[in-house]
Amino acid sequence: MAQVRIDGDDLVVVMEGLDRFWAQKSSLTIPMVNVRGATADPGMAAEPKGIRAPGTHLPGVITAGTFHLDGEKVFWNVKDPSKTVVVELADERYVRLVLQVKDPRATVALIENALS
Amino acid sequence: MGRPRAFDEDEAVRAAVSLFGGRAYDGVSVDDLVTHLGVHRNSLYKTFGSKRGLYLIALRRHIDDDVRPLAEALTEAPDVAAVLRLVTSADLGLLLLAVVERAPVDEEAAAEVAGALAAVDRAIAGALGIPDDLAAALTAAALGILLRGDPDSVGDALAQLLDHLGRQGRPTWHRSA
Repeated sequence: MAQVRIDGDDLVVVMEGLDRFWAQKSSLTIPMVNVRGATADPGMAAEPKGIRAPGTHLPGVITAGTFHLDGEKVFWNVKDPSKTVVVELADERYVRLVLQVKDPRATVALIENALS
Repeated sequence: MGRPRAFDEDEAVRAAVSLFGGRAYDGVSVDDLVTHLGVHRNSLYKTFGSKRGLYLIALRRHIDDDVRPLAEALTEAPDVAAVLRLVTSADLGLLLLAVVERAPVDEEAAAEVAGALAAVDRAIAGALGIPDDLAAALTAAALGILLRGDPDSVGDALAQLLDHLGRQGRPTWHRSA
């Protein structure tokens, strides 16, 4: 699970509990100007993940960490696909973040409202 | 460096207009978009940023392709009956759903919708030579008739009434002081 908040001009993602270990990352800070949008997307979990480095991938259990697919880096932190939010980025190390959050609808509204 | 886009963006947006116009924003999942638009999920995110990003582009396309031509046609409408006929026969599904579903919670969608309806209002006001607020009321009535799904009988009755009032020069035609 990840906590997502807007802090000034930044999007801040904080991994909770053991997810810090599984994802090999405790937090991410992304300038909002580099955030293109957010979408609640339970179906994302079924997509190919690519090669993990570093991170954890136990199919059906957890996908966490940095994954390389088609020459792009995607950050995953998902155990429960039904609570997945996809955050699309530009000019960042990751092209997108795939995060499990407590309330996908509220998280999407938080990010999209900050963009408009 | 990602895989190049392998889809027709224009066609995808047209398909999105149809999908969002038929099922509403909340009724369309990313799975639906991937299936109906023929777009790979990652390409969809890369191109449009988000489901909302695609929705806003689709809404603007709908306004350009369906609402603006309607407004243009309305500038030539000779009477109320013609106005009602034009509005109730137009394909305005996405606009109507946007009015009730997205405009209250999305400022950008609200601005697009307001601009589109204002264009329709102006066209009607110009064609019939009536004040803007009366034209807005006529637009609202026409959209209501379209939603009711009974444009012939209800529309004809309203057109007859308004034409009758117009001929009598009743104060309802004029802007209040």
